Amino acid sequence: MERLLLGADALAFLEREGLRVLACRLVGDEDEAVSAASKMEFPVALKVCSPDVIHKTETGGIRVCLKSETEVRQAFREIVEVFRSGSPGKRLDGVMVQQQGRGFELIVGARNDRQFGPVLMFGWGGIHAEAIGDVTFRLVPVTTRDAREMVRELRVYEALKNPRSGTVDLPSIEDFLVQVSGLIEKHAEIEEMDLNPVFAAGSEIEVCDARIRTVLVNEE
Amino acid sequence: MMNAKLKYLFCPESVAVVGASNGFDKLGYHVMKSLVEGGYGGRIFPVNPKGGQIWGRQSYQALSAIPEAVDLAAITVPGPFVPEIVHQCGRKMVKGAVLITAGFREIEDPKGAALQEEVRKIARLYELPIVGPNTFGFVNRTFGVNASFTPEFSRLEKGGVALISQSGGFCHLCGFMAMEQRMGVSKLMSLGNHVNVGFPEMLRHLVEEDDDTRVIALYIEGLDHPRDLLDTAKSLKGKKPIIAYKAGRNERGDSASRFHTGVMAGDYQIWKGALRQAGILEVSSPEEFIDTAKVLDKCPPIKGPRIAVLSGQAGPGLIAADAVENAGLQFARFSARTQETINRLLSPMAMRTNPVDMGPAWYSPEDMLDILKAVVEDEGTDGVIFLNVFASANVHMAKAMAERMKGAAPFTKPVVVVFSAPRGIWDAEIVEIDGKKGISIVPTPDRAGVVMGNLWKENLLPG
Repeated sequence: MERLLLGADALAFLEREGLRVLACRLVGDEDEAVSAASKMEFPVALKVCSPDVIHKTETGGIRVCLKSETEVRQAFREIVEVFRSGSPGKRLDGVMVQQQGRGFELIVGARNDRQFGPVLMFGWGGIHAEAIGDVTFRLVPVTTRDAREMVRELRVYEALKNPRSGTVDLPSIEDFLVQVSGLIEKHAEIEEMDLNPVFAAGSEIEVCDARIRTVLVNEE
Repeated sequence: MMNAKLKYLFCPESVAVVGASNGFDKLGYHVMKSLVEGGYGGRIFPVNPKGGQIWGRQSYQALSAIPEAVDLAAITVPGPFVPEIVHQCGRKMVKGAVLITAGFREIEDPKGAALQEEVRKIARLYELPIVGPNTFGFVNRTFGVNASFTPEFSRLEKGGVALISQSGGFCHLCGFMAMEQRMGVSKLMSLGNHVNVGFPEMLRHLVEEDDDTRVIALYIEGLDHPRDLLDTAKSLKGKKPIIAYKAGRNERGDSASRFHTGVMAGDYQIWKGALRQAGILEVSSPEEFIDTAKVLDKCPPIKGPRIAVLSGQAGPGLIAADAVENAGLQFARFSARTQETINRLLSPMAMRTNPVDMGPAWYSPEDMLDILKAVVEDEGTDGVIFLNVFASANVHMAKAMAERMKGAAPFTKPVVVVFSAPRGIWDAEIVEIDGKKGISIVPTPDRAGVVMGNLWKENLLPG
């Protein structure tokens, strides 16, 4: 049996597993959005939540760096309006209000490969991740040494270690990769998992958005 | 149990050729030719139901008719006869087989896969290791047996490289390149469709039971269960260098494109990471494959990334220097003493710091060799690239080096050499120098830089 965990549900799962995630709340209307945002620190981000939308940016489903209640209210209206006009008949679960991430955008993925079994992917994240394709793979389990090599294999490594682009604590990224590898080992039911983006600033590595597809493992 | 038999398979005291023939259009002809002309020292038993003399030897109508023990059966009979022959091997207590016949899992017709499965089951019954099917065979140069349909592989130099391939064509391509480049080979084989002798079994055998093999070079196309190979390599990490050339890089895995992350996940990218994780050094061309295996076999291990480039001509020296830098290596800084030696032997007409232009010493090869010695002995140097391109005036260079090396102690650091000259000029000297005393010769300065980089990468892998 297949199951797809998206947005807030996926983040809640990851948080239970000990990963740091950006605070978020799913809201249904403007007032709820404002109240959720005021409980967080500004700036915040708003994202459309629909099982029918994968690429939120391309469909106008994301507003970032909202610094005030007015901006939150305005963004909520725009997101809902764009969704209604662009995706008639599609399901809208709500809008997610989330703490604005900061630092480098990274991507961490995992999948159960038909030939290799569980593999971990790490790369440069954000909206251009696919176009640039700066990614590297390892088989699960991933050791700290493997993780260090993964970080260094990326082209973005030169930027990550450059103090001019803000300090990123590389050992924290390595620990994070090892932690995700452990999670994949523990949960054999995870068929595919996509943590994108993951924000890295200093030693804070926080998951901003995630998709997790699980398949019920048959007991044989 | 099966693994214990591999030693007999690859070092047989006797070989039966099932399907041996006097007819040029039969593979059994060429296998007989390989064994006979390759100077195999054991007993050869041609097997053919027609009987008579084959390749000047008494043939037998069946394996069971051979009065002596048979270690290896080389099988070339058509597919439908193979199951019965494998039974006969089992009953005759043959130690191992090389199944040259094609037409198994590799063909479109599902009957091929069914036949292979049948053969696998029969082999298991008798615990019979089988190399193949769908292979040209194997050659064990250090033991001295050519059980393949290519007699010319007996011309391969003996050495420490075991070349294990999924493709017979790649073995031929690289085998002939190896002859050209004087790469020494212990074993050369294609595993074909690997019914029960695959990469994991071979790795274990080569690392644990084959003292002649110092370097393992793999050619991989694709595997149903790559983890078996990768886990085995990981468990043997650091014992013998393993390098691999992975073909089929641009092919996108079936499972790759389904999910968001999957879009970027070509199978090759997983291979790339997994090979590194397993401690296997990946190379990306047949030339790099041969150079790297050869230099790993013949040069002492590299202990650091600091390289010196010594060149008889500035241009080739710069090409090597570029390659050294691209490979992530550093340039050695010479000690005061080394620099003094260089300054004494070279006039300041040319660059005397690393990369050194030895042009001014064209007429005095002995001075160049003194510089080489001083630089290798410098504690700040981990490896040396020594380049000489022929010009009429430096014609004595190669001879001088060959003479000097005769009495010299082996270099304790890798010395990768390029000697480039028109055919017929330095040929004998190149053969004399190459592969001895820690020296290995490669064809061009950029390849010298790449291979030096690979020595360092290989050194870092097991860690």
